[in-house]
Amino acid sequence: MAETKHKIARPVNWNKLEDPMDLEVWNRLTSNFWLPEKVPMANDIQSWATLRPEEQLVTMRAFTGLTLLDTIQGTVGAISLIPDALTMHEEAVYTNISFMESVHAKSYSSIFSTLCSTDEIEQAFRWSEENPYLQKKAEIVLGYYRGDDPLKRKVASTLLESFLFYSGFYLPMYWSSRAKLTNTADLIRLIIRDEAIHGYYIGYKFQKGMEQETEARREEIKAYTYDLLLELYDNEIKYTADLYDGLGLTEDVKHFLHYNANKALMNLGFDPLFPREVSQVNPAILSALSPNADENHDFFSGSGSSYVIGKHEATSDDDWDF
Amino acid sequence: MESTLMEKTQASTLGYHELNAMLNLYNDEGKIQFDKDKLAARQYFLEHVNMNTVFFHNLKERLDFLVEKEYYEPEVLDMYSFEFLTKIHDYAFSFKFRFESFLGAFKFFTSYAMKTFDGAHYLERFEHRVVMTALVLAEGSEERALKLVEEMITGRFQPATPTFLNCGKAQRGEFVSCFLLRTEDNMESIARAINSSLQLSKRGGGVALSLTNIRESGAPIKKIEGQSSGVIPVMKLLEDSFSYANQLGARQGAGAVYLNVHHPDIMKFLDTKRENADEKVRIKTLSLGVVVPDVTLELAKNNEDMYLFSPYDVEKVYGVPFSDISVTDKYQEMVDDARIKKTKIKARQLFETIAELQFESGYPYIVYEDTVNRTNPIEGRINMSNLCSEILQVNTPTTYNADLSYNEIGKDISCNLGSMNIAMAMDSPDFGGTVEAAIRALTAVSDLSAIESVRSIQYGNDQSHAIGLGQMNLHGYLARERVHYGSEEGIDFTNIYFYTVVYHAIRASNLIAIERGKVFGNFENSKYATGEFFNKYTQEEWKPATARVAELFATAGIAIPTQEDWSALRDSVMKHGIYNQNLQAVPPTGSISYINNSTSSIHPVASKIEIRKEGKLGRVYYPAPFLTNDNLEFYDDAYEIGPEKIIETYAAATQHVDQGLSLTLFFKDTATTRDVNKAQIQAWRAGIKTIYYVRIRQMALEGTEVADCVSCML
Repeated sequence: MAETKHKIARPVNWNKLEDPMDLEVWNRLTSNFWLPEKVPMANDIQSWATLRPEEQLVTMRAFTGLTLLDTIQGTVGAISLIPDALTMHEEAVYTNISFMESVHAKSYSSIFSTLCSTDEIEQAFRWSEENPYLQKKAEIVLGYYRGDDPLKRKVASTLLESFLFYSGFYLPMYWSSRAKLTNTADLIRLIIRDEAIHGYYIGYKFQKGMEQETEARREEIKAYTYDLLLELYDNEIKYTADLYDGLGLTEDVKHFLHYNANKALMNLGFDPLFPREVSQVNPAILSALSPNADENHDFFSGSGSSYVIGKHEATSDDDWDF
Repeated sequence: MESTLMEKTQASTLGYHELNAMLNLYNDEGKIQFDKDKLAARQYFLEHVNMNTVFFHNLKERLDFLVEKEYYEPEVLDMYSFEFLTKIHDYAFSFKFRFESFLGAFKFFTSYAMKTFDGAHYLERFEHRVVMTALVLAEGSEERALKLVEEMITGRFQPATPTFLNCGKAQRGEFVSCFLLRTEDNMESIARAINSSLQLSKRGGGVALSLTNIRESGAPIKKIEGQSSGVIPVMKLLEDSFSYANQLGARQGAGAVYLNVHHPDIMKFLDTKRENADEKVRIKTLSLGVVVPDVTLELAKNNEDMYLFSPYDVEKVYGVPFSDISVTDKYQEMVDDARIKKTKIKARQLFETIAELQFESGYPYIVYEDTVNRTNPIEGRINMSNLCSEILQVNTPTTYNADLSYNEIGKDISCNLGSMNIAMAMDSPDFGGTVEAAIRALTAVSDLSAIESVRSIQYGNDQSHAIGLGQMNLHGYLARERVHYGSEEGIDFTNIYFYTVVYHAIRASNLIAIERGKVFGNFENSKYATGEFFNKYTQEEWKPATARVAELFATAGIAIPTQEDWSALRDSVMKHGIYNQNLQAVPPTGSISYINNSTSSIHPVASKIEIRKEGKLGRVYYPAPFLTNDNLEFYDDAYEIGPEKIIETYAAATQHVDQGLSLTLFFKDTATTRDVNKAQIQAWRAGIKTIYYVRIRQMALEGTEVADCVSCML
C-alpha cells in the first residue's frame, strides 16, 4: 500500500473490455439463468418413497452439506472476491456468481420442501451444524476468505467450486443413473453447470493474477495450493466416509473426489495431483456429469437441464420476404 | 500394458450401467467403445434378466399359469388352437432375435415385458410380447398373426407403446395413444373436458385440448362485463388433473393445450412458460401449442398490428365457435365488425415472443392452420393438434343439457399409432405387404377400441377408424447406405419413400373397405370420393430425381407406383371407398425406436451417442443404429445439420402424409430468436404443417467439459 488510490466512482463500461473473458462468462452465466421453480420436483415424490430410510437420510444430509457450501459461497465467498477484481467487469461477474450461489442454496430447500417433512428437514439441518467434518470444511474455507491474500482467496474459492461440492453432487448423480430422483438430478445438473463455470472463471482470474507475481511468490502460492488441497482432502475423506459408509459408496466417491481435485488444480493452472488409476470415476457418474445440454428427454419426464434464456434479435423485412 | 490389465479387471467388475455409460467416453485411442455397450447388454441378461425370469417347462404350463393367475386375457388365446399357439411361438423364436443395444433390452424389460404382480420377476421375453400383440391384432386370423409376428420381429413394423405394452394382458390400459378434445365456451364443456382428461389419462393416453373457444379474461358473463377469468385458470385445472392421473403408475398423465394466436389471452398463455413467471400462473408440465393462420404471417410480413378477437363475440356474430371459422378468411370482416371486441398487438412481436419462449422452454408447438386445412382431404375443419403435433383431424362440438347429460355428441379425435422402420422395410421382400400388414394391425386397434367414458371420442373413432402409420430410422437407413441426411439424395429418397408408402396405405385401406363393404363416415364428401385427392399423383409423374435413389429402390426390388397404378387405385377408391378416414401420421417415436434399434422418427440423430433420460430409466446411453467408428461422417447430428435441411426433408415427406409429422427444430446456442423465426417462416413456406419442439444445444464452455466425453466433443 505504498500509494493510496484516489477513489473515483466509475461507471462500468461494457463497451470497453479489458478482458474479453469477462463478457464471455457474463453472457454464459446470464443465458444460464434459472430458478428452482422451473423443475417439476413433485415428479420425484414417488421415486423418493422408494428409497430406504437410510438412503433418504444420507441424501438429505448430502444436500444440507451442499446448502452450507452454497450459503458460504453466496454470502461470503464470491463477495470477498469483488475487492480483488482486476477489472470492473470482473466485479459484475462476481455479483452474478454470488446471486446464483444463493439461488442454489435456496433450491436445495425446494427439494426438501417437496420431498420431506418439516421435522426431517430440521433434523438434517441440525446434522449439518453438528457434523465436525462439515464444520471444519467451512471453517477452513472461511478462514481464507477472511484473510488478506487475494490469490489465496481465489485458490480457496476455486477448490470450493471445483472440488468440495462434488462429494455431495455424487449422490444425486448416482441416483439418477439408477433412475431415481431424476428431476432432482436435473436441478443438481443445473447447479453443476453453473459451478463448472464459476470454478473455471475464478481459476482463470487466479492465473491472470499469478502472471503479475514474482517467481518466488508463484512458488509460494503453488506450495500453498497443494497444502490447502491436502488439508481439505484429509477432511473431505473423513466427511465422505461419515456420509457414505452406510451405503457402501465411499470408495467410489473417493475416486470421484480425486478426479475433481485434479480438475480444480487444472482450473488453477497446476498439474494434477492424483494418478490416473485412483481418479477413474465410475463411468455412469462421469457421463451423468456432462454439463452439456444434449440429453434427449420426453415430455413425461420433466424439463431437463437443456434450455437457456434466448438471445433476442428482431427480424428484418428481408426475413419476411415471401 | 498396465492400462489393458486395469481395463480388463475394470470391465469384469463393472455393472451394466457403468459399461453402458462407457459408450459416452472415448477409449485411449479416441474411439467410441461400442463393444462396451454390447457387453452391457450381455451383462444385463446374465446378471439381471435371466436371474429374474420365471421358468416354465413348456408352453402349455406357461400359458395355463398366465391365464389362471390372470396375467393373460383368455379370450385372446381362445381365438386360436393350441397347436397354432405352439406354431406361432416356435416361429417367433426361430428368428433368433437379439437386442442391438443395451438401451433396447433395458427399455423393453423395464417398460414393456410383463412382470409378476409384485414386480419382482419377468414373465415375458421379447418374442412373447410380439406373439401376444400379433394374436390380439390378428383378431383370430392365423395367417395375419404369423405375418404380424414376422413384421414385428424383423423390426419392419412396431406398434406404438400403448398397443405393444397392453396387448393380451388381463390387467391393462387401452391400446390407443392419443386423444384430442374440443372445449367449448361454457362451464359444462370445461368441466367435461377435465373429467375426460382424467379418464383418458387413466387409460393410457396423452390428451390435447383446444382452448380457442373459451372466452378471454375480462369478457362478460351473462352480459356483465369483466367477469371471465380466461384460459389460464383452465390450464391450471388441467395441469393438476394430469398430475393426478397416471396409468397404474406406469407413466404420468400428459397433456397439451392449443390456442389460436388471435385469441385475446395469447400473450398471457405464452407467458405461463416464462422462466420468471409467477407461481400462480406458471405452467410446468402442461405442453403448449399455438394455432397460426396464414393471415398472421402476412401481417408480420407487412410489420402490421394483428387484432385479437373475443371468442365470445365471434360466436355470437357467426353462430359457430371461434375455432370453426377461418381467421384468415374472416380477418378483415371481423376487424370491421363493431360487434366483435378486439385488442391488438404487433404481429412480429408475437413471433419474437414465441421464439423467446421456445428458447426458454421448448414450447409452444405451432400448427399452421391454413396449410393443414388446404391439404386436408376430409370435409370439415382442423383446428388443433395433439401432444406430439402429428395428429390432424376434423372435429365437431358436443353440446350438453342442463342436467349435464349429452344433448348432441360431437366428434372428438383419437389416434392409434405404429411406425415402420425404414431400413428394415426397405429390406422387406414384399414392401407393399409390409405396409398392408401395418395398416391392418392399426385398423384392428381402432376396431378394438371403445372409450365409453368419453363418448365424443368413442363416436369419433366409430365414425372415422382413423389410424396413423408413422416412420422411423430415416437417418439410420440413409447412413447405412452412405447417404448424407439432408443431401439431394437424402431428400429425394424421402420423397419417393413416402410416395410409395402412401400408395400402399390407401390401397390397403381400400382393400379393407372392399372386404367389409364399409367406409369411414362421410367418405362421400371427401376428396377421396371425388377423386380430387389423386390428381397430383395421376396428373404428375413421381420418380427418383437421382440415380442413387433409383438404384436403392431397384436393388431393394421395390416397385415405385406409376401413374397407371394411381389411376387404377383412384377408380377403385371412388367405387369402393376406403375404411380409414386418416392413414398416416409420423410421431416422434421415443421408446419404441430404442427397442426397434431405430433413429427417432425422420429426424437426424440428436447425438451420435444419445443420452436418454426418462423417469423410469434414469440416464442411459444409446448408440445411433448402424454407427461404427468407420462411418461417423454420415452421422452429423441434428444441430450440425441445422434446421434448413431438416425442413426440406420434412417437406418432401409432408406432401404424401394426410396428417402431420412431429418436426423438431434444432439450434446451436449461437442462434437468436431471429434464427428461430426464420426457420418458422421457411417451414411455413415449404408447406410444413406443424412444428413440435424447438431444442437448443448449449455446449460446455471450453475448459469446463468432462474429459474424454463423446457427447461433449463430437
